Amino acid sequence: MQTNHSIVRPFWVIVNKEISDIIKSWRFIIMLAIVLLTCTGSLYTAFTGFATAKPTNDPEESFFFLKLFTISDGTLPSFIVFISFLGPLLGISMGFDAINSEQNKGTLSRVLSQPIYRDYVLNAKFLASLIVLSILFFSLNLLVLGFGLVIIGIPPTAEEVFRILMFSIVSIVYVAFWLNLSILFSVGFRQATTSALAGISIWLFFSIFYNMIVNVIAKGISPRQMISEYQLVSLQKLIQNIMRLNPGQLFDDATTTLLVPGVRSLGPLTMEQMSGAIPSPLPLGQSMMLVWPQITALFAGTLVFFGLAYMLFMRREIRSR
Amino acid sequence: MNKLLLIKSFIVTTFLVLFSFNQSKAQTDSLVLYTPYTKVSVSPGNSVSYSIDVINKGSKIRNEDISASNIPRSWDHSITAGGYNIDKLATLPGEKKTLTLKVDVPYQVKKGNYTFYAKAGSVSLPLTINVSSAGSSVTEFTCDQKNMEGTSSSSFTFNTTLKNKTATNQQYALMADAPRGWSVVIKPNYKQATSTEVEANGTKSISYEVKPSPSVKAGTYKIPVKAVSGSTSADLEFEVVITGTYEMNLSTPSGLLSAHITAGSEKKIELTVKNSGTTDLENVELKASKPKDWSVTFEPAKISKIAPGQTETVYATITAAKKAIPGDYVVQMDAKTPEVNSSASFRLSVRTPITVGLVGIVIVVLVLLGIVFLFKKYGRR
Repeated sequence: MQTNHSIVRPFWVIVNKEISDIIKSWRFIIMLAIVLLTCTGSLYTAFTGFATAKPTNDPEESFFFLKLFTISDGTLPSFIVFISFLGPLLGISMGFDAINSEQNKGTLSRVLSQPIYRDYVLNAKFLASLIVLSILFFSLNLLVLGFGLVIIGIPPTAEEVFRILMFSIVSIVYVAFWLNLSILFSVGFRQATTSALAGISIWLFFSIFYNMIVNVIAKGISPRQMISEYQLVSLQKLIQNIMRLNPGQLFDDATTTLLVPGVRSLGPLTMEQMSGAIPSPLPLGQSMMLVWPQITALFAGTLVFFGLAYMLFMRREIRSR
Repeated sequence: MNKLLLIKSFIVTTFLVLFSFNQSKAQTDSLVLYTPYTKVSVSPGNSVSYSIDVINKGSKIRNEDISASNIPRSWDHSITAGGYNIDKLATLPGEKKTLTLKVDVPYQVKKGNYTFYAKAGSVSLPLTINVSSAGSSVTEFTCDQKNMEGTSSSSFTFNTTLKNKTATNQQYALMADAPRGWSVVIKPNYKQATSTEVEANGTKSISYEVKPSPSVKAGTYKIPVKAVSGSTSADLEFEVVITGTYEMNLSTPSGLLSAHITAGSEKKIELTVKNSGTTDLENVELKASKPKDWSVTFEPAKISKIAPGQTETVYATITAAKKAIPGDYVVQMDAKTPEVNSSASFRLSVRTPITVGLVGIVIVVLVLLGIVFLFKKYGRR
């Protein structure tokens, strides 16, 4: 019992310290302010959109509450667009100097001179960021839920709550993906600025330039003359698969499917697949099945980057300055 | 001589007188009125027809005024012969003529004997009508259309007239004896009722709405109906001819028309074909209109015969296309005969096979194992 305590306790001491460091840091406060501002803005547009939205007979009408996350009146992007855009930035900002700044300040060797295992440092830094992120996203989504209840006055159904919960978890995994990537950079690059710029440039590449490049490729490989339906479908599938190398695309696919139950397929459909199909919302399980590859990829990617960072860090020779 | 003359003249006078007397008497007696029923008993509201023979027993043609006297003022009467109303009748010697005296006894009449006279000139024939106090015990119950034809789902309305010919108001109980499972709604005055009152000498329209049992077989059915009061009753018989109907109902034993199906796999669904008509259904074919690349087979694909009211079970095996996207698809199944068809739309919720999910889980588990390996290798240095 005694030994068990002595093993667990120093780890949680580091985690607690890291959490308080993150919360007190200006960087986090600024990011939090940006996220809160944009989300408030998008929520506001969603609410004004609700007032003018005409009730229709479409089957998604029963999932009224989920529209809070997805609709917009055009002035500001919707809630999920903001999350997919700012989430990576949040993750990068929390992880880019995790190891290298400690090393540069000389505090890392001091910490490691304590009787603790070496991986405690990396694990604790990751876990602390993850805890803060989880709290942030859960409370953000609960706030949306709460405001929605107050303003719309319609309680969400159990399915809607579960969908929002799944959305929160996927968001956390997505941000954790970028967090791990930036931790990897912080281990790899000595300079905090280098690692920050590397993270941001990857983020910029995927969120802005990647789509352009894929479009250029698509234009290049698409034939000039008429093509059959099957060729068109396979071409579309190819382009879509290239697009899915972008983690942001994976996240968009996953969240749209989770928050819009009417989405039945993400790829192009042939007429024969559509024949006899009637518009209907999918149950949560089937929506999950639909985006299971995306969720798996995000989750596995997160773990792979963590594993790489871990390996690099453990093999690193750490000297005092 | 003078005395003899006197006697002689007296005798002549007497003879003359006697002769003339005799002659006038013979003239009177030579015409006879005859009818067999000189006293009849009737109830109020009836009419009595007397056939009266006028017999000329004399040697001359007798042309006499014909009349009836002493008939109460409220009673109607008429004297006819040979299709005419007559006032005078001539009879050849030794022959007879028949005339008809019709006397209508009104409803409003007191009990008792009424005597009146049929007269031909000076000859009269006393006739007596005894009005019984019970009045007429006759109720007239008529229907202008007693036979109707239709299917088991149609309803038949018979319009009848009930006439109370008695002298008092009558409360009639209205009854109908329909076959089992049929319903008869009796509506005097357009309201459903079981009894109705008809005034003396009044009429009432009563409609009978007959609905056959839904499972009735084709054929002819008789429905006796009755109107019964304390002292009188009348009955009538309606005839309903049911023609056969063709009706069919395709469903499932539970009535549930939705199912889950995994893409690429097959699902067996139990269907019921019910003959809800009244005649046999023969050669019922089962077909399905389905999304492309789906297949639906029926076991059996054809039912040779279904008796009315009977249900046959058919198993449909549905195979979803491999590329079917998750969500709802519609498969419409039809049961067809040349006469009738019935269809059921099935809503099939397609689910994706779990294998894809398993691959994802395997990948995640592999990555986790890799990390555990890293922890083991480097963790506790």
